[in-house]
Amino acid sequence: MKKLFILLSTLGLAASINAEEMEVVGNVASKCVVIPDTAGIYGNPTADVLSTDPSDGGVDPVVRFDVIQASMYKAKISYPIEFSESPTLNDIVNWTGSVGTSQVSDTSMSGYDAAKIEFDNVTEFSLTVAGSTWFKTESQADYGYGKAFPGGVYRAVVSAECIAI
Amino acid sequence: MSGEASAHSFVPTYPELKPSYVEGILYTTMNLFNARKDVEYYEFGVFNAEWEKVPFAMQNKIMRVKHLEKKKIDIYIREKDKQEVVYICSKSKLIIAGASKTSVSSRVCSKVK
Repeated sequence: MKKLFILLSTLGLAASINAEEMEVVGNVASKCVVIPDTAGIYGNPTADVLSTDPSDGGVDPVVRFDVIQASMYKAKISYPIEFSESPTLNDIVNWTGSVGTSQVSDTSMSGYDAAKIEFDNVTEFSLTVAGSTWFKTESQADYGYGKAFPGGVYRAVVSAECIAI
Repeated sequence: MSGEASAHSFVPTYPELKPSYVEGILYTTMNLFNARKDVEYYEFGVFNAEWEKVPFAMQNKIMRVKHLEKKKIDIYIREKDKQEVVYICSKSKLIIAGASKTSVSSRVCSKVK
């Protein structure tokens, strides 16, 4: 028997006699990842306006949402309605803005803009397709009635939320 | 696709509240991954269906999570508040710096089963 085993080992058959099937198990859990993609910059096309619009010299901030499974999350994105940092302002700032898709990883996401829900400065999108969606946020701040913004640093925050449904 | 170069994730999507070693207290374990270079602190919150705050306990409600660090977070809730709890959220805390820029505050919310 021992001689037989040595012979089989030499021929490389012993291992195949003892081989067992092995199972590989995986689990794909739902997940949402929020990824700031492009930092926004305010352009100052006229003295009383700060705008992220590229035609005004600004850059629209872009946030990417990745979802692994469809219809598990909604995206809730808010354009700013106040500065998080600015010089002292003694007049009202009027804010306008909008949020929309700028790029999608799946063509069936093209309906997101038509189905979006807007209220106040908030826009909600149901993430009904698995994959990546890039959302662009435009915002504009108008100071007083044609008043010039005082010199200094202006900073605002876009809020990007991914909420399980 | 640029990968998760600057990402914030918070899982599981649908956490379950389980009994803790303290009677009358439930807990769940959440996992936070911080791949945002511009963020080192996250704030946690528990909310009901109307987004009102629900009392909860954890080690620190604002926690330091370094870049590319994964952290397990235990969140404790009173058993009597179990029916109230709907959302458990993590929110990035931004550092004020930079000029004429907009930054992004990210919040990811899970829904309790």
